[in-house]
Amino acid sequence: MLHRLSPQTIRILALLVVLLLVILFFSTQVPNYLSGRLFNRVSSSVAIMALIATAQTLVILTRNIDLSIGSVVGFVAFATGSLITDNPDLHWTLLVAFSITLGMFFGMINGFFVAVAKVPAIIVTLGTLALFRSVLVEFSDAKSIVTANLPTWLINFPNTPLLEIGTLQLRASFAVAVAVVLVVHIALSRIRIARKLYAVGSNPEAAEMAGINIGLTVFTAFVLSGALAGLAGFLFLARFGTITVVAGLGFELKSVAAAVVGGVNIFGGSGLVIGALIGAILVDLIDSSLVRWHLVSEFWREAVLGGLILLAVTMDTLVMRSLAVWRTARSNSKEDRRANVQSP
Amino acid sequence: MMQRTGSTTCLTFLQAAADMAPSDGIRLRFDSEAASIHGEADCSEGQDYRWRKETGMTCWGHTGQMYTPKSAQGAMQPRRWRNEMKILTTIWATLLVVLSTAVLASGHVKMLESGKDIDMVLLPKFLGILVFDQANEGAQEAHAELKNNGDLLFVGPTPENSVAGQIEIVTTAATQGQGVVMLSNNAGDQIVPAATAAMEAGTRVVTWDSPIPSGEGEDVFVAQVDFGSIGEVMAEMAHSLLDGNGQMAVLSATPDAANQNAWIASMQEALKDTKYADIELVDIVYGDDQAELSYNRALALVDQYPDLGVIMSPTTVGIQASAKAMQDEGLCDQVKVSGLGLPSEMVSYTLNGCAPEFALWDFRDLGYLTYYTAYGLASGQLTGEIGETFMAGRMGEFAIEEDPGRPGSRRILMGPFTVYNADNVEAAAK
Amino acid sequence: MCEPLLRLENVTKRFGMTTALQDMSLDIFSGEVHAIVGENGAGKSTIIKIMTGIHQTTEGRLVIDGTARNISGARAARDIGIAAIYQEPMVFPDLDVAENIFISARSGWFLNQAQLHAEAQRLLGRIGIALDSSSIASGLTLAAQQAVEIARALSQDVRILIMDEPTASLSAHEAKQLRKVARTLAEEGVAVIYISHRLEEIFDIADRVTVIRDGIHISTRPIGDVTSEGMVSEMVGRDVGNYFVKAPSTVTSNSLLRVEHLTREGIFSDISFDLMQGEVLCMAGLVGARRTDVALALFGINPSSSGQIFYKGRQINPSCAREAMDAGIAYVSEDRRKLGLAMPMSLRSNVSLATLRSFVGRWGFLDQSLERMTALEYRDRLNIRAPDVELSVGMLSGGNQQKTMLAKWLRMKPDVLIFDEPTRGIDIGAKAEVHALIREFVANGGGAIVISSDLPEVLAMGDRILVMREGRQMGIVNSTETGQETIMRLATGQASVEAA
Repeated sequence: MLHRLSPQTIRILALLVVLLLVILFFSTQVPNYLSGRLFNRVSSSVAIMALIATAQTLVILTRNIDLSIGSVVGFVAFATGSLITDNPDLHWTLLVAFSITLGMFFGMINGFFVAVAKVPAIIVTLGTLALFRSVLVEFSDAKSIVTANLPTWLINFPNTPLLEIGTLQLRASFAVAVAVVLVVHIALSRIRIARKLYAVGSNPEAAEMAGINIGLTVFTAFVLSGALAGLAGFLFLARFGTITVVAGLGFELKSVAAAVVGGVNIFGGSGLVIGALIGAILVDLIDSSLVRWHLVSEFWREAVLGGLILLAVTMDTLVMRSLAVWRTARSNSKEDRRANVQSP
Repeated sequence: MMQRTGSTTCLTFLQAAADMAPSDGIRLRFDSEAASIHGEADCSEGQDYRWRKETGMTCWGHTGQMYTPKSAQGAMQPRRWRNEMKILTTIWATLLVVLSTAVLASGHVKMLESGKDIDMVLLPKFLGILVFDQANEGAQEAHAELKNNGDLLFVGPTPENSVAGQIEIVTTAATQGQGVVMLSNNAGDQIVPAATAAMEAGTRVVTWDSPIPSGEGEDVFVAQVDFGSIGEVMAEMAHSLLDGNGQMAVLSATPDAANQNAWIASMQEALKDTKYADIELVDIVYGDDQAELSYNRALALVDQYPDLGVIMSPTTVGIQASAKAMQDEGLCDQVKVSGLGLPSEMVSYTLNGCAPEFALWDFRDLGYLTYYTAYGLASGQLTGEIGETFMAGRMGEFAIEEDPGRPGSRRILMGPFTVYNADNVEAAAK
Repeated sequence: MCEPLLRLENVTKRFGMTTALQDMSLDIFSGEVHAIVGENGAGKSTIIKIMTGIHQTTEGRLVIDGTARNISGARAARDIGIAAIYQEPMVFPDLDVAENIFISARSGWFLNQAQLHAEAQRLLGRIGIALDSSSIASGLTLAAQQAVEIARALSQDVRILIMDEPTASLSAHEAKQLRKVARTLAEEGVAVIYISHRLEEIFDIADRVTVIRDGIHISTRPIGDVTSEGMVSEMVGRDVGNYFVKAPSTVTSNSLLRVEHLTREGIFSDISFDLMQGEVLCMAGLVGARRTDVALALFGINPSSSGQIFYKGRQINPSCAREAMDAGIAYVSEDRRKLGLAMPMSLRSNVSLATLRSFVGRWGFLDQSLERMTALEYRDRLNIRAPDVELSVGMLSGGNQQKTMLAKWLRMKPDVLIFDEPTRGIDIGAKAEVHALIREFVANGGGAIVISSDLPEVLAMGDRILVMREGRQMGIVNSTETGQETIMRLATGQASVEAA
C-alpha cells in the first residue's frame, strides 16, 4: 500500500501523525489542554504564518529564499493601516487590493535583482530585509497605527466565527488562510506554468535546456510570494490593530522553519504548500503548548522549540531516506525480473 | 574624575553649606558616622536637605513637599501614595535613595550658558518608535532654548539592526568629533568598547532611558524615574484593579531586558508588603516586544490561569497587545491589563475598560533634560561629578548623584511619573 | 538525396583567442543516423551547442529547411524541432515521469493528469520502453531517465535528435535498447545525430560518419566506406598502434589484498578474491552489478557488514576513507565531477588534495612552491595538457581531468589503487595513456583493481577478471583464457564459475 503513495503524500501523512502525537503528548502534560480554546488559539495565530509560509514555499521551490518577507508584511500592514486611517470609508475590496498590490511591488523589487540582475537571493533579500524596514521607519515618521483609528469591521473581521461547533470556532482569518493555501496548492499541482516553479528548482540546467525562461519563472515566484505576503500584512493589521515599525520582525526565519518542517526541500524542486501549512500549524502548536507546559521555563522554551524542529526535520530526512532505499530495492528487483525475461 | 572621600560631621556640613549656598533651594545631602554631634540641626543619615535662608536646613521630602526629617518617613507609606494617585494622578515620585559617601561638590545651582557651539547626537534604541521621537522633540526644544550653534542630529539604527547599529553610530560620532552622544542603550555592555573609545576621543556619552549596565563608558545616566518606584506603582495599580485580592501575571519584553527585569524585581519587592498579601504573582512570561508573540502569550496566560485577574506588562508593546487580545476574546470583564503604556496607543482600551489604568513618564521631558545635561557636560560647564547641581530650563534644578542600582555610576533622576485612566488618557493621547 | 534538413555552412566559432570550430560544413538529412566522432576537444560539444542555440556562430550560418535561421536559444531550437540528450540525463529529479516529459508543453492552462499520463505512456510505448509514468525521476535508472528525455523530445515533435554519448553510462543491454530506439526514430523520419566513443556502436547504428579533429571537418562517409582503423587514425591524426594490445603481465606471487566473504547487507554478498603485487584485477559486470559498492567498501566509505579484508596479511576492515588511505589503498572515482575533483580549484590544488599533509611546511602553512613543483612534475609525467597548473581543472577536457585525478592518487604512493571506470567518456588517445599509467603503476610493485564496462578494455588490461552480477560474485576468469562471450554470459547470469 505504502509504495503506491507518492513520497510527498507520505510526508504529509507523517506530519499529521507527528501533529497528533504532539497533541497527545501535551494533553497528558497540560491540564485542560484538549479544548475548543486550543483550536481557536492556534488557528487564529497560525493564519498569518500559514500565508507567509506559503509565500516562502513558492520562492524556496525555485531554489531561492526570501528573507525580506517579515519587512514586507510589516510595511504592508503599516501602509494599509495608514490608508484606512486616512480614508475610513474605503471599501474593503480596495483595501485588500492595495495590500496585495503593495506586496507584489516589493516582490518585483526582489524578483528583479534575483532574476534579472542574477544576484543570489540570499544576498538580495538580506539587503531588502533591512532596506524595506528602513523605508518603513522613514515612512512611518515614528507614528503607530492604533486600533482606535481603524474601522470596526476591520478589527472584528479576523475573529468573526464563520462556523461554531461547541466552543470550537472556525474564524474568518483562519478560513481565509486555509482557502488561500488550498487555492495555491491546487494551482501548483494543476496549472501548467506552475510546474515550471518545480522544474526550475529541481534542475535549473535542464530547465534551461527545456526552453523554460528561468528568469521569468523566478521573477513570477517572487511577485506571487509578495502578493501573499501583502495579504498576510492585511491580516496582520486586522489582527493586531496596533502596528509599529517592528511589525513582522523575525517572520523570515519562522516562515522558512514552517516550510522546511512541512517537507519543502530547502534546495528547491520539491514540497507541497499543504505541507507548509501543516508545518506552520505544527510549529505554532508546539510553541503555544510549550508556553502552557510548566516543565519548560521561559528561558529554555526557544531552545526546546528549536530542538523539536531539528528533531522533526531529522526524523523526516531519515524516514524519507530509508523509504527511498526500500523503494529502490523493490523497484530494482522488479526491473531485474523484467530484464531477466527479456535477456536472450 | 576625582572622587571626594572622607567623612564630615553635621557641623562642618552645615558650615560648608552656609558658606557655599547663598540662595534658596539648593539641595544638600548629609552623610556621616557622627550625625548627632551638632544638636541644632536634625541631621539624618542619607537624607536630603534643602537650604533656606530664613529657616536654615530642612529635609527635602519624597513627594516634593517640605517635610521635617521625622515626618518625611510618613511620605513613604503606600496608603498615602494611593490617595495621592487617585486625586492628583500625577505624582512627583523622586525617590532619592542615597547609598554613597557623597559630599558636597558645589553648592551652586549652575546656570548653563547658552549659545555654545556643540555638535550633539541623540541616539535612540532604534528609529520609528513614538516615544523616542517624543524624546527628540524635547531635545529639539532644549536645543532651541539654549541657542546651540552646533547641530543636533537624531540618528538611530533600524529595528532589526539595533545592537550593531548603535555601536556603529557611537563609533562614527566619535570619529566625526561630535561633542556628545545621548544614548538610549539597547546593546547592553556590548556598547562599552565603543563608548569608552568615544570618551577617550573627547566625545561625552550621556545615557537616557536605558543605561549601560556596567556604567563603563558613560558620563551620566538620565533616569526617567527611580526604578524602585516603578515597581511600587505597578504593585499599586494591580492592587487597585484586583481590589486587593487575586492573581496577577507579568508579560514582559525579552527575558534579558535590563530595564524590565529591574522593574519586575522592584515590583516583587514591593509585593512583599503585607498590604499585598492577597495578591499572587503567578507567572512571568516574555513577548519579546513583538505584537504577535505578546498577543499569544497573553492568551496563553489566560488559558493557563483561569482565575487570573490582571496582566501587568511593563512594556508599551506588551500592554497594548495584551489589551487587544483580551478585547478580541471578550475577556475584558475577567482580566484587566495594566503596566507601562503610551496614551495614544492605549486610549481605546482604557475607555472600554480593558486597561483601566496604566502609567508612563513623559519622554519629551526626558529628552529635554538629557539635552541640558549633555550640553552642560560637553560645553565644560558641568564636570559630571557627584553632587553637582544645575538648572535644566523649565524643568528646574537637578543634581548628579550615585546610581543606587549601579554602584560607582552616576545618574540624574528626572522623576515625574504619570498614571493614566479614563479621566486623563484622552487629553494625553492627542 | 533531397534537401538537407539542417546544414552548417562554413561555421566558425571562437571563444576569445581559441578557435573551437573552423570553417565547418555539415549536412544532416532526415531519416539518417549521422555519427560524429572525434577526440575530446575536437569540437563535438561546440557543434551541439550551436545546434541547440546555447552558442551562436562567430562566422557562417545555419540553414534549416533551405532557409538560413538563427537559433537564438533553447526555446528557438525547440521550436525548430531540435532536441539533445546527454550522457548525464537532464531530468527534473523531483518531478514524475509524465511531468518530466511535458515540462515545456505549451497547450492549455490546466493540466489534465489522466490525459497527461496516458499520453506519456503512449510516447514511452512508441520507443518501446515500459515505465510507470507516475514514478519520480530521481528513482529511475540512467537508461530510464534517458528514455524520459527521448519521450520529451518526441512530445515536442522532434525532427533532429542529438544524442551525445548516450550509452556511456549504460549497461550493454540498455545501450542496445537505446540504439534500437534511435534506429526506430530514424525510420520514422527523425534525423539522429549520434556521438559516441564506442566505435562498435557506430558501426552498429550509423548511416554516415563524420570525423572531426581540432575543430576541423576531416571526412563524412557512408558507414560502408569506413573501417575502424581508418576512423581512429583520422580521429587522432596518427596511428594508434598499441590500443587494446595486451601488455606483458607483471603478476607476482605476493598477495597485496585478500578479501574473504565480504558482504554488505542488501547490497552485495560473499565477495572473495586475492590481489597480487603487480596484478591488474578487472571487475566486469552490467550496471547494477554493485561493483562500485564493493570498491567503496574496500575504501571504507560504505563499510562492509561482514567478511574480512587482509592487507599484506594484516586484517584491516576500514571504516572510513582515511583508514583505507593510511593503509595504502586509494580509490579513483567514476564520477569526476561529484566525487573526484574540485572543479573550480586549480590543477595544483587538486593534485595535492589527497596528500595535503606532506605539503605542510614551516609554521603549519602550505608550501605552495612545493605544491607547484609537484603538480608540474605530474603534469609532465602524465602528459596532462594544461598550459599552467594554476588553471582550474573545470576548464580541462575530460581526459585531462581524469589524468589529474590519477595524479592526485598516484602522489599518495598507494600500494592498491582502485580505478572506477577510468576511461569512461575520454578519447582514445587519453585511454591509451591511462592504460599505460595503470600498467606502469603495477609494474612498480602496486596492485590495481579496475572497474570497467568496456569489455575489450577489460580483456586487454586485466590479468584476471572478476565478474559480478547483482551483488554476487559470478566468478574470476583469467583474461588470456577467456573471451567477451564468456564474460557476458557470467554477467547476465547464464553461467557461473566457482571462485578460484
